[in-house]
Amino acid sequence: MSPYKNQVGQSIPKVDVREKVTGRAAYIADLSRPGMLHGAVLQSPYAHARIKGYDTSKALAVPGVRCVLTGADFTEHFMGAFIKDEGPIAIGKVRYVGEPVAVVAADDERTARRAARLIEVEYEELPAVLTPEEALAPGAPLVHEDLASYVKVFDAKFEGNAFSCTDLSEGDVDKAFAECDVVVEGTYETQAQYHLSLEPCGALAEVDANGRVHLWSANQSVFRVQANVCESLGLPMSKLHSMTPKVGAGFGNKMEAHIQPLVVALALKVQRPVKMILSREEDFEMVRARHPFKIRIRTGARKDGTLLAREVETLLDGGAYADDSPGVLGYSLLMARGPYTIPNTRCFGRVVYTNKMRFGAFRGFGNGQVAFAGEQQIDEIAHRLGIDPLEMRLRNAMRIEEPWFGGQQVNSNGLAECLEKVREKSGWGRRARPSRPGVKVGYGVAACAHISGLLATSAIVRMLEDGSFVLSTGATDIGQGSDTVLTQICADALKVTVDNVVCATPDTDGSPYNWGTTASRVTYTTGRAVAGAAEDVGRQIKEAAAKMLNCPVGDVELRDGGFIGVKGSNTTLPYAAVAGFTHWASGGPIVGSKSLIYDAPTIDPRRAVAIGLPFTRIGVFSFNALVVEVEIDEVTGKATVARAWSAVDVGKAINPRLVEGQIEGGIVQGLGFALTEEMVWDGGRLANPTLMDYKAPGAVDVPYEINSIIVEHPEPDGPFGAKGVGEISLVSVPAAVANAIFDAAGVRLHKLPMTPERVLTAMLGAD
Amino acid sequence: MTLFLEPRTVAEAVACFRDHPEARCMSGGATLVAMMNAGLADPPAVVSLRRIAELVGIAPAADGWTKIGGMTPHRVTAAETRLAGGQAIVRLAAGRIANPPVRNMGTIGGSISFSDPAADYPAALVAADAEIEVVGSGGGRRIAAQDFFVDWYTTALEPGEIVVAVHLPPAPRAAAAYEKLVKTEGDMGIATVAAVVEMDRGACSDLRVAVGACGPHPVRLRESESDLIGGRLDADAVARLASRLAEALDPVDDVRASSDYRRKVVPRMVARAIATARARAEGEQ
Repeated sequence: MSPYKNQVGQSIPKVDVREKVTGRAAYIADLSRPGMLHGAVLQSPYAHARIKGYDTSKALAVPGVRCVLTGADFTEHFMGAFIKDEGPIAIGKVRYVGEPVAVVAADDERTARRAARLIEVEYEELPAVLTPEEALAPGAPLVHEDLASYVKVFDAKFEGNAFSCTDLSEGDVDKAFAECDVVVEGTYETQAQYHLSLEPCGALAEVDANGRVHLWSANQSVFRVQANVCESLGLPMSKLHSMTPKVGAGFGNKMEAHIQPLVVALALKVQRPVKMILSREEDFEMVRARHPFKIRIRTGARKDGTLLAREVETLLDGGAYADDSPGVLGYSLLMARGPYTIPNTRCFGRVVYTNKMRFGAFRGFGNGQVAFAGEQQIDEIAHRLGIDPLEMRLRNAMRIEEPWFGGQQVNSNGLAECLEKVREKSGWGRRARPSRPGVKVGYGVAACAHISGLLATSAIVRMLEDGSFVLSTGATDIGQGSDTVLTQICADALKVTVDNVVCATPDTDGSPYNWGTTASRVTYTTGRAVAGAAEDVGRQIKEAAAKMLNCPVGDVELRDGGFIGVKGSNTTLPYAAVAGFTHWASGGPIVGSKSLIYDAPTIDPRRAVAIGLPFTRIGVFSFNALVVEVEIDEVTGKATVARAWSAVDVGKAINPRLVEGQIEGGIVQGLGFALTEEMVWDGGRLANPTLMDYKAPGAVDVPYEINSIIVEHPEPDGPFGAKGVGEISLVSVPAAVANAIFDAAGVRLHKLPMTPERVLTAMLGAD
Repeated sequence: MTLFLEPRTVAEAVACFRDHPEARCMSGGATLVAMMNAGLADPPAVVSLRRIAELVGIAPAADGWTKIGGMTPHRVTAAETRLAGGQAIVRLAAGRIANPPVRNMGTIGGSISFSDPAADYPAALVAADAEIEVVGSGGGRRIAAQDFFVDWYTTALEPGEIVVAVHLPPAPRAAAAYEKLVKTEGDMGIATVAAVVEMDRGACSDLRVAVGACGPHPVRLRESESDLIGGRLDADAVARLASRLAEALDPVDDVRASSDYRRKVVPRMVARAIATARARAEGEQ
């Protein structure tokens, strides 16, 4: 037998790798139930219109159609993570093109889709607001007339179509700007980005003989699914059993509800299982997307490069429903200072309803947008002052003992090491590949921090009769490998190998609560609960063993490979013996658990003023520095990232290969955000809801070298020191690419994506 | 239900269309099947050319012309080294079409019959001075590439006619360059430029430049080209041709780029395509 090795820190293959490689893994579209019907949705053709009536007779006359539901079949129940403003379907009026207005269940999908098109809806078109500026104009039509009466989970500041307004400030900004030797100011604009999970959203619901609903869906949290379905349909939570199949990626799109409430409503109505899978176009048009931002920002420094002041104002297009918008707004302001010591910072932002699809959570959660603006200004100041941009960041990097903007204590900070690592590995300053005829080459750097944390989580570890373990957390593995990481944490804490621990599939009946796979939080937050539950089990194992060995509990210890040993002796007991003892003789089966909620306050009122901030306890900080090498085709203006070096302080890499996977994936998605991806509206209608017309980078477009560099500054209360890595590597990408474009071509781009057209136009303008 | 027909010969295929005038012709299926799946086409009958062996393959003729069978997949055309000299423009364009699955499925006859102006073959075939051989119930005929691409998704094909081959004239001493500007690799071009250049002791002896993806059909200006024949292809002369080409375009604003940008970038792409083709031509002399 090979000697036991610590399970944490090993690049163990994903625990579900075999079923995925062999194609046996079942995603929502693969599931089927006896007698199952198929759902289809009718979408609104108008951006804003009153619904005058429905005629479903033609749809119901189609052979094979079992049920049609419209807004008239629903009573008003509202869901929403921050503001409860959204029903399961349009009721009374439609608020965006593509919004569900009716659903059909039929014997097969083709029939359901055909029938949906036969539903007649009478509309009275209303004037629409398609941009935040239109929505804020005096006398603008209101997207939600009842905003004031909606339930809100925080002290929201709202007015007209602006449904959340947030202020966050520290220091004396006006005084500090007066003391600056150099001040840069600019406005920046970012676009809507589509999440592009390879798997579109879908759900399957079945009602059992007792009237209880069993629901499978593409999700990032079985518990958020349960909450949203029950809130929007007025069901008690005990009536809904929410489960997960394998999930084909989630980037924020599957955290809050998509079509689960509609599928449950159909199943309840027809009393047969109903499955609905969105087409790619529907997934584009009715799920959610990244917020377009408009950012006005000003940054000032002394001539020695010391940053003194920053002022930021953001305006977000929130779309037709609040969804996660207040959180994205607040978080973007919290991140807008960047990971620097800037003693005087003032941020203000608004998010506004418009008659477009809702915008919500997306990997980065507003951070990438403000970093695109703020990190270009750091560069601009460095260039004005003749300071190397990377050196400028090192000089101003938050010191380890310094709190974050707002006052939260930061307990681990590897920013300086990240910057030093990318400087060294990229050969920064050596210009390894100079410009050549037709191609301008440039290097850019950007840095950021991102949180991992938020809200409640829990874990249960049970010892089975043979001494192996079952771990339950309720955290959905969305493909990133959290089941593997949590298994490693549990196994290591119990000194067994991962094959002695099985990670149970999330299920609201059987799993303890987990808020969700979001906010880069599973490794850090759920990992803490797993480590705590495993520790609880370890304690109980020792107690039982002490009883078996007739010795004080203080004399026994856990030993590598799944044994209890008596300190100072060779006497050991295998876990199996302890498990047998507890199951059959004394004490009862061992069950360990841990529940926690992230509780360090974000705002220290002695340092900062926060108004309308929708969260009070956000999380711990990971850090990142990124260098990119950009090539610009001088003929066309097309910018390509040839190489990238990304260093991320993850506290401790539980599974280094999976950490690298997250860094690489974030960079690729960030490159799409930076260079090619853009949802375009033609009036109220999304003009490019297909992968033919919406272009994300493919295998040929990504850099031929992405160097992922793991930096480990342990988080004191993280599991084995770990903190999150799910989002952070995306955040710096647009800014680093913009800075590299400036380095190559001497032009600053203030608008994403940085298409060949925008780059060439800027270059020709600069000549 | 859609009737699916699989003729074994060209004559049988022609008969299928005589019997089913509303039928759609399917070659590789890369586009038609996608359109049917999207509900954009619902033909009562589909005539597949896949089993017609005589339509597949590339064959040089004794007179220097090269024949590309209508059912030849892009992958085969992209790898055909006998497409050399000026004929190489078709090989270069084939290699930039979409992605490997599409290059395996799609065929030259199917692609040009669809006549998407943003596709890769139209500009390349116009620059190659290709002739399109078609057969219908009235017999066969050859159509110059320039006359074949009529408008957006519209060709000179009469109802019931199918493309059986593309014929490329000899240009052994010329060289080619293909410029394709894309948002992401494999996408439709924002603009494409196909250039064929022949040099004779420092003087241009043949020049053919076609611009694609900037209007309803490829744009080529033979008269402006002829102004450069006999000259040294100096930068000013090339710039004059390039700007005339840009003026002749009829580009649209779409999700890929604006019409302004297309007019701005095309002359720059033309200049590079000519320079690249010239360098290749002179390198091969």
